[in-house]
Amino acid sequence: MRTIFAITKKELTSYLTTPWAWVVFTAMSFLSSIFFIALLVSFKQVHDEVRDIPGGWSQLPPDYQDFRNLTDGVVVNLWGTMLVLTLFIAPFLSMRLFAEERRNKTFELLMTTPIRPYEIVLGKYFGALGIVVCTLGVTIVFPIMLSVLGSSESGSALEWRTVMMGYFALLLWGATNMAIGMFISSTTESQMVAALISFAVALAWMLLKQVAPGAPEPFRSVLNYLAFDTQLANLVKGVLDVKPLVFFGSVIALFLLLTHRSIEAQRWT
Amino acid sequence: MAMIEVENLTKQYRDRVAIDALNFKIEDGEIVGFLGPNGAGKSTTMKILTGFMPATSGKARVAGFDIFEQPLEAKRRIGYLPETPPLYPELTVRGYLKYVSELKGVPRAKVKSEIDRVAQGTGIIPELDRLTGVLSKGYRQRVGIAQAMLGDPALLILDEPTEGLDPRQRREVLELIKGLAGKHTVVLSTHILAEVKAICQKVLIIHRGKIVANDTMANITGGKETGLEDKFIQLTAE
Repeated sequence: MRTIFAITKKELTSYLTTPWAWVVFTAMSFLSSIFFIALLVSFKQVHDEVRDIPGGWSQLPPDYQDFRNLTDGVVVNLWGTMLVLTLFIAPFLSMRLFAEERRNKTFELLMTTPIRPYEIVLGKYFGALGIVVCTLGVTIVFPIMLSVLGSSESGSALEWRTVMMGYFALLLWGATNMAIGMFISSTTESQMVAALISFAVALAWMLLKQVAPGAPEPFRSVLNYLAFDTQLANLVKGVLDVKPLVFFGSVIALFLLLTHRSIEAQRWT
Repeated sequence: MAMIEVENLTKQYRDRVAIDALNFKIEDGEIVGFLGPNGAGKSTTMKILTGFMPATSGKARVAGFDIFEQPLEAKRRIGYLPETPPLYPELTVRGYLKYVSELKGVPRAKVKSEIDRVAQGTGIIPELDRLTGVLSKGYRQRVGIAQAMLGDPALLILDEPTEGLDPRQRREVLELIKGLAGKHTVVLSTHILAEVKAICQKVLIIHRGKIVANDTMANITGGKETGLEDKFIQLTAE
């Protein structure tokens, strides 16, 4: 336990004493702010339009209906955008996890001190979780701003249950990306290669749903089920369902196991 | 008691044999010079003894524990300085030594005194609060040795500990290693025969993956001033 904690602490120290994590935090805050503002602008546009239409909301096509309230119109859409941003940004956080140890030759230190490989994997993963939660954590400020400054006809400006479920989905997605990235980082010495491959794997996995219609059954259902997109769709809208939780839990566990195998295997080459 | 026992240790990389059926014993408390030309298999042997990589076949025991079957017990008794000191440039020397102490399982209450002890021994006290990334080569090497000494392991395996040091630092490090004699077993590899002559009681020479000499210093030099050089050149000839 103590060694796991020591490794986690060291990982967080390494992230926070080098400029890299701060660059990522800044990029994340900057990009999410832009998307937030854009969503607010379209939200306002729709409401202005509605005011000029005699029939009000009932006259508008269904895809406008999301904009009736701030929760669905702004926050849920924002979380959707953040999922895509995470896909781009997480590889830059996960790439150094093992690749840097190998480049610095500190991997030898880890492997020759009396610790077990699983302690290394867990220690590093908890550190990675910490940093991705920090990165995504800043975005909770947007719903807080809305609930302080916004208003609604039915009392509270936001439906917090939906907001928090979506936020949780976002964190779970970040945790999944870090697990995939950590495994890929454990297979290479180059951080750039690790980042690029992690991104490609996560993106392709996300988009499995797009290729599914072209495949014959039963592959179509399998592809559909496996796509990150399918699993995230309801969760991010605030629908609590056990299936996606089990799905992402399994994906994380799988990649932690693969990382474990990968660092064990490296000793044999 | 034998600190290191090696039986038929072989390591093969695809089509190349790095070390070929090594057999040797190193007794408790000895300082052993591990010599050989570049690429002879010194680093490979050290990496196997420290449990960094497994051998293709054969056995290696450290303090009676098989390095493959009881790796944690064996690793607890080894301090290892790899060819490149394994430093994290973003940590301070003190932070780094604290981290390594935790990895080695040094009891919490002892961490501070252990860091002071090894920093004293390697002369890095003035550098404790600097980042390891900005240290000079000599200090990096010393921090590497300090790290190996943490937790007071019975066996120190040092891969070229004086590499990159200036003559004064070389002498200091050698004095330091000499001071460990008796309490610790030290295996060190180097290219500089004068260093071996100065501090080692025993010499192992490896050439093309095979042990070509394993004897006390006195027997190898035969009392001659240039005895070790002559022997080395003779044994490692093509």
